[in-house]
Amino acid sequence: MLLEMKDIRKSFGKGDSHVEVLRGISLSVKKGEFCVLLGPSGSGKSTLLNIIGGIDTADSGEIYIGGERMNMMKEKQLTRYRREHLGYIFQMYNLIPNLTVRENIEVGAYLGKNPLNVEEILHTLGLYEHRDKLPNQLSGGQQQRTSIGRAIVKNPDILLCDEPTGALDYNTSREILRLIERISLKYRTTIIMVTHNEAIGAMADTVIRLRDGRIRDRVENAVRLSAEQLEW
Amino acid sequence: MNNKTGNPLRRRFLRELRGEFGKYAVIFVLLVLTIGLISGFLVADGSMIIAYRESFEKYNIEDGNFRTDEEISKSNRRDIEDLGITLYDNYYIEKGSDRENTLRIFRDREQVNLLCLMEGQAPQNPGEMVLDRMYADNNGIAVGDSVRFGLEKYKVTGLVAFPDYSALFRDNNDAMFDAVRFGVAAVGKEDFDKFPSDELVYNYSWKYNTPPASTEEEKELSDQLMEDIAEEIYLEDFLPRYLNQAIQFTGEDMGGDRAMMLILLYIMIVIIAFVFVITISDTIARESAVIGTLRASGYTKTELVRHYMVLPLMVTLAAALAGNILGYTYLKQVCADMYYGSYSLPTYVTVWNAEAFVLTTVVPFLIMVAATFLTLRHRLSLSPLQFLRRELRRRGRSRAFRLSPRIPFSARFGLRIFFQNMGSYVILFVGVLFANLLLLFGLALPAVLDRYQESMQDNMLCRYQYFLKIPAYRMDRDYELEKIVSSAFLRLSAATSNEDAEAFSSYTLRIPEGEALRTENIQVYGIKKNSRYIHAEIGRGEIYISSAYADKCRIRAGDTIRLKEPYENKCYEFTVDGIYDYMGGLCMFMRNEDLTETFGLFDDYTSGYFSDSEITDISRDLVASIIDYDALIKISRQLDVSMGGMMIIVDGFSVILFMVLLYLLSKMIIEKNAQPISMTKILGYSNAEISRLYVVTTSVVTLLILAVTIPMENIIMKFIFMNYLAARMSGWITYDIPDAIFYKMFLIGAATYFVVAVFEMRKIHSIPMSDALKDVV
Repeated sequence: MLLEMKDIRKSFGKGDSHVEVLRGISLSVKKGEFCVLLGPSGSGKSTLLNIIGGIDTADSGEIYIGGERMNMMKEKQLTRYRREHLGYIFQMYNLIPNLTVRENIEVGAYLGKNPLNVEEILHTLGLYEHRDKLPNQLSGGQQQRTSIGRAIVKNPDILLCDEPTGALDYNTSREILRLIERISLKYRTTIIMVTHNEAIGAMADTVIRLRDGRIRDRVENAVRLSAEQLEW
Repeated sequence: MNNKTGNPLRRRFLRELRGEFGKYAVIFVLLVLTIGLISGFLVADGSMIIAYRESFEKYNIEDGNFRTDEEISKSNRRDIEDLGITLYDNYYIEKGSDRENTLRIFRDREQVNLLCLMEGQAPQNPGEMVLDRMYADNNGIAVGDSVRFGLEKYKVTGLVAFPDYSALFRDNNDAMFDAVRFGVAAVGKEDFDKFPSDELVYNYSWKYNTPPASTEEEKELSDQLMEDIAEEIYLEDFLPRYLNQAIQFTGEDMGGDRAMMLILLYIMIVIIAFVFVITISDTIARESAVIGTLRASGYTKTELVRHYMVLPLMVTLAAALAGNILGYTYLKQVCADMYYGSYSLPTYVTVWNAEAFVLTTVVPFLIMVAATFLTLRHRLSLSPLQFLRRELRRRGRSRAFRLSPRIPFSARFGLRIFFQNMGSYVILFVGVLFANLLLLFGLALPAVLDRYQESMQDNMLCRYQYFLKIPAYRMDRDYELEKIVSSAFLRLSAATSNEDAEAFSSYTLRIPEGEALRTENIQVYGIKKNSRYIHAEIGRGEIYISSAYADKCRIRAGDTIRLKEPYENKCYEFTVDGIYDYMGGLCMFMRNEDLTETFGLFDDYTSGYFSDSEITDISRDLVASIIDYDALIKISRQLDVSMGGMMIIVDGFSVILFMVLLYLLSKMIIEKNAQPISMTKILGYSNAEISRLYVVTTSVVTLLILAVTIPMENIIMKFIFMNYLAARMSGWITYDIPDAIFYKMFLIGAATYFVVAVFEMRKIHSIPMSDALKDVV
């Protein structure tokens, strides 16, 4: 197993405003697996993703990445873990405004020990023609493609996607999903994607549904639909 | 294939610089001006201090001088030299030039106090003279010009610096030197020997055969020497080098200036560091999501701290470099010229001053490194998630406090902006306080001097005070017979038939060391009962002191003061009965009978006359000095000449500082609100309405800060002025500035802000509506 989580609990606030966001989550993800975390707002899926990404901590429970216990790591080790193993894609693209598309991708490449070829990524993402543009000259989809480029160029073991299509229209969302699918197949990257869009689950190997901080069900898709086939 | 690239974040630097050109340009200019001015000053000051200190040896400056009323005999000279000193004749005569100035003319020196020739050549022929360079500059005299004394005419062959007159004090008791009205010159032996002997002043310089090792030893040695010499000859004056203002003032002043400039530098650096702290915090807030993403992607905190440190430090470094170049070239010359405008200094060689470089470049750079590093380390210590969520406050989410709906919307809006930008306004407060302090300094000094000159006209004891020549020994108890004879002689020969004249007696005492910030002479006047000129009912045994003395030494009626004999350790104590309104000097008034009794003088002892009209029937040979309006305003005239130019620089600098701070801070406030401004545009607010909402708050705050800080600055300036003057200058000038100066300051501040407000409005106009819809950052 690449990722194993045991009885993860997390709560926020104190007294009256105390909220238990995760109430004993246990799950595992294999290397190269495409896992979708589904659930409504407040179900705890983003919190879970942040804990996996090492940018948030669990109150209790155990997390293992490649056999190494993550929640024993100090801040520096967590940074190194993120640097070496993770790629992040957010709903808001968070690109650096005064760097071009190519340079934004290079920001990711700089972190990898053995990064992918930036030119190839640009071609793969259909951004080659836009490589010298600044983010404010791009559409939302192009910006998200750039942020995907930034995340995958360092050749991460796990790609964490937090509502990557949340801010995009239907067609652009499908386009982004196609891209993530291609990355999954081409680079055999483990992908964990948070979404509230049920339809996206069909393109994953595993769909984990969350509700009120608990896993409601876990479904292994016998057949993965291609992003092209998705409709919602 | 290794696709590893260099850190792409580096490519942001130039773009960031271009994008924020205005901000970095003003910081750059401010730093260049500050570092340039201070490094230029320190290099000029350092080089000149070196030249000044070296001049003691290079030009063989005397260890002291004394004056007698006649040439000393060979046997007296031998006896005096047996006291462990070597004597040098340093006779002079004083002549009034056709410009109504006084020139003290020496013989060209060959052994002590050698002249530093700065231009032209030494007098080779009769009728030629060399003139003090500063006096010549102040009076527009050049080499080749002629100086006339009645029928006599001298051709100026060279301009020189007299090392024993680096500050042109005519009299060591003068509050200030006057390089416009008083100068020194030297002629060849042949010309000097032609001067009538009765006009000669017998001044002798001495050098110790074994120089004292310390100032304390020098004081002890000179005290003993004075007593020993006084046993041999009649001393008119005795002035050891350490007390000689003409020699010491320059060195003390240059040292004091240096301290002031360094304080100015570090205040400026701290303000600029604050500006950096605010801009960095602003950048972090603006790029919060990017930082969160970079941190989530694996960028370390150190990498980001380094990244955000680079640009401010690059700007600081570039400014330090440019400032040093400017300082070492142009501004050094400006500062040197300012010194040459104040002091008659010898030629100097620019000495590269490692200390100046460290103080103006290395230390400020390290302060900037520390300020930016600590700010960034603090600001970037939040978790990636907090950055992603833009939760940049450590103490949880900020809560809006309730503002009554009865407050009009625009006022509530303004208050919200005020509270949102409190940090920036605090910086603005500090910056305005400091910038206006500089402005007040620039405006107040000329005003204080003008006020002083004006008030002197109404505040003189009389239009002319004549002090008669009374040799020091003639006051001494050991010379009873001489006292009787010379007193009778003076009474007869210095009698006047001028009806305005009123005789007074006087005595000079000195403030003992440690009793006040500065030890200086106090003129004690013995006045007649029902004096025409001193309008105070001073009874027997009563002591009044001048208001200048009271102000300077903070003495009130009822206080006891201690004064000593200038050349002895004998002390006197007096209880002050009243303050007499007189700002022209530090003096004390008592009844004539009390003065003669206190100091053991004859009952009819007379030192001079008060008079409202010129006394023409006393030989000028018997008159030691005349205090008239010109003499009283000497201190203000010289300050005007030596500091007037600098005041303009100070004014300009303070306005630039004020403008830069306002520009930077208001720019940040508007940038911080770019999205809401854009949104209000979408909602249909006009540019004018939005400008009112956003600019009015800063305008009100700026005007309030101006109004609040001006009285504070006045208090601070008064404190600085009083302590500075008390410690650095003999005499006193009251810190009294007209209210118009404060209105002027307010108006300059408001006008400066108006210029900045125009930039602000233009900035608001240029914010596109699309900003509100952006998700880029």
